[in-house]
Amino acid sequence: MKLKDCHNFNDFRKLAMKKLPSPIFHYIDGAADDEITYGRNTSAFNDVDLVPNVLRGVEHVDLSTTIFGKKIDLPFYCSPTALQRLFHYDGERAVGKAAKKFNTMFGVSALATVSVEEISSIIDTPKMFQFYFHKDRGLNDSCLERAKAAKFDVMALTVDTITGGNRERDLRTGFTSPPKLTLSSLFSFATKPMWGINYLTKGKFELPHLQDYVKEGTSTNTSIGNYFSTMLDQSMNWKDAEKLCAQWGGHFALKGVMSVEDAKKAVDIGCTGIMVSNHGGRQLDGSRSPFDQLAEIVDAVGDKLDVICEGGFQRGTHMLKALSLGAKACAGGRLYLYALAAAGQAGVERALAQYKAELQRDMKLMGCTKISELNRNNLRFR
Amino acid sequence: MSLKNCYNFSDFRNLAKKKLPSPIFHYIDGGSDDEITLKRNTSAFDDCDLIPNILTSVGKPDLSTTVFGRKIDMPIFLSPTAMQRLYHPDGDKASAKAAAKYGTFYSMSTMANNTIEEIANISSGPKLFQLYVHKDKSITDDLIDRCKRSNFDGMCLTVDTLVAGNRERDHRTGFTTPPKLTVNSLVSFAMRPKWVFNYFTNKKFELSNVVKKTEKGTNIAKSVIDYINEQYDPAMNWKDAEYCVKKWGGPFALKGIMSVEDAKRAIDIGCTAIMISNHGGRQLDGSRSPFDQVKAISDAVGDKLEIILDGGIRRGTHVLKAISAGAKACSFGKMFLFSLSAGGQQGVEHLLKIMHDEIYRNMVLMGCKNLKELNSSKLIYRN
Repeated sequence: MKLKDCHNFNDFRKLAMKKLPSPIFHYIDGAADDEITYGRNTSAFNDVDLVPNVLRGVEHVDLSTTIFGKKIDLPFYCSPTALQRLFHYDGERAVGKAAKKFNTMFGVSALATVSVEEISSIIDTPKMFQFYFHKDRGLNDSCLERAKAAKFDVMALTVDTITGGNRERDLRTGFTSPPKLTLSSLFSFATKPMWGINYLTKGKFELPHLQDYVKEGTSTNTSIGNYFSTMLDQSMNWKDAEKLCAQWGGHFALKGVMSVEDAKKAVDIGCTGIMVSNHGGRQLDGSRSPFDQLAEIVDAVGDKLDVICEGGFQRGTHMLKALSLGAKACAGGRLYLYALAAAGQAGVERALAQYKAELQRDMKLMGCTKISELNRNNLRFR
Repeated sequence: MSLKNCYNFSDFRNLAKKKLPSPIFHYIDGGSDDEITLKRNTSAFDDCDLIPNILTSVGKPDLSTTVFGRKIDMPIFLSPTAMQRLYHPDGDKASAKAAAKYGTFYSMSTMANNTIEEIANISSGPKLFQLYVHKDKSITDDLIDRCKRSNFDGMCLTVDTLVAGNRERDHRTGFTTPPKLTVNSLVSFAMRPKWVFNYFTNKKFELSNVVKKTEKGTNIAKSVIDYINEQYDPAMNWKDAEYCVKKWGGPFALKGIMSVEDAKRAIDIGCTAIMISNHGGRQLDGSRSPFDQVKAISDAVGDKLEIILDGGIRRGTHVLKAISAGAKACSFGKMFLFSLSAGGQQGVEHLLKIMHDEIYRNMVLMGCKNLKELNSSKLIYRN
């Protein structure tokens, strides 16, 4: 199987499975507890049907939308995800360059493996920095200042990882960052020698936003769940979020809002956007899917800030459904991570090109030429 | 396995799978994207139950109805489908003759491998022509004129194919028309020597109705997808449709209507019928199934035009449910294509007989003397 055999999300997933040592694959592929929420994030789209309109003259389709004050060419973007150089040695560089090529936004995680300074020197298209609220206030200030100096457009504060989710696959595979060889993972690493060679020869693995502050930034092997539970400040509250929002002074989003009540509070503290998300099903299993919850949040605050639907997207039609309900844009992590693991920048570009082609085709089949023409008349819930 | 072992959709499908090279089988069998809509088209019928009435002295039920100005002997007909010679050397001739024998419509696709005139010569049965609006308008005009001269009864304009659906099975099998041998498909073709023999010893494969007008019609290996994207006009709008309705001047349907709003507009431009269809789940995946949508459309426009439900039909009971929900008749593509692949004209006749018998038997079991007695009181929707 090669990149050119990848025609959809599942194909990229299969190719990623072939390329990655199994603990790393399962770190991407897995979710919390029984992975009920993870499954629902996608299956929720199948409980609603699209009703197309015909004969509307659809030669040219415009997929652009404006979020956080920036016009992007696609109504979806790459969510911030951690540790990308584990998946492909180019890591965030590959994703950033691919996103730039399609003029859409991409997110850089506080747990990124390439620094904001380097990213900003190669990517001039819209960028989001994703921020975790650490106990160490010096680290927090440093992240904010560096992202500001690097001219990032949006700051997204993740609010759903106050403690680590129970990712049972990681417990079984012994996934840590940086990867640690255990007896059970040894076999898997040994059977993927290319990954091992690239990992050891393409530059040291590091977490540049953290390394001056925490030893987990470099050499200590830690699980992500353990990192969240020990390093992040569990006392974080609305006051802290409001302060950060003011300190940042630009477009600010909360990532991981699920209730209408919290969406309204986000408006009150000055956010310009929210990402409706359950962290890809990786935190609270049994929590509602973003798509199931989208309509009530849009109804409550859709005219006051940008509502982004994050999680579960595997198809252009999934995005059409979320946009029809009123999401301003769609975002996802696995959406591009399997493709990154499969083939680096070329893989991410192929994935983005496929979603774009699907959206263009699906818009035509719906009889729509602009994203703003999508609305709830297009949908029937079963 | 032979034709006489075929009792239902799955049997015909299995036999077709044995006879056809795999890229061709999957071209019929596949839908777009994740095939969610393809599956829903049929499973939607299972979310609704029939309520029979007893002791109605039902006698011999009358299955006839009238669509496109022709009385037909049963409320089902063959949907227009492209390139039937890929499935059997007799192609459209086989299906046209079988339909005529069972007193119902055969439909010809713009992309048929036989000409309008050829079919008119061999069948006096009810005939529907399916039109695509090409970028070159003279192709469209020519097709309408020829159908008129050949006494086709009705015309339908396909409106859900402005761009081709994402048929991933075709990506994987490398399906093109005419079929192109690739390393992947070679094995599959080699294992079906009879198909290959027929294909090469019969008349040359061409899109007969448009062959003189476009070079794509003949021997350039193109996927259907590329043909659709190059030849059909994505700027097509209601004015273009109205032009076709007027130019034809007879019974006219839009094929691929899914919204109530569009069904109403179809009346305004002079259509006498609509075919509720999502192109057999081959275009927009995630779109609503015809059966899920038929009642809303029938409630809005059922008294003003004929509603044909196209897609998902596998059983006589599906037809009964569709008619109870407001359809005048049902049409199907996949099902008869499998029967055509399985046994040519004889295969299609075998299928039509089975479907006739199922509808007849189930009408008796429902206690209904004619199709008018089927209405929404016969249905209960679950949940």
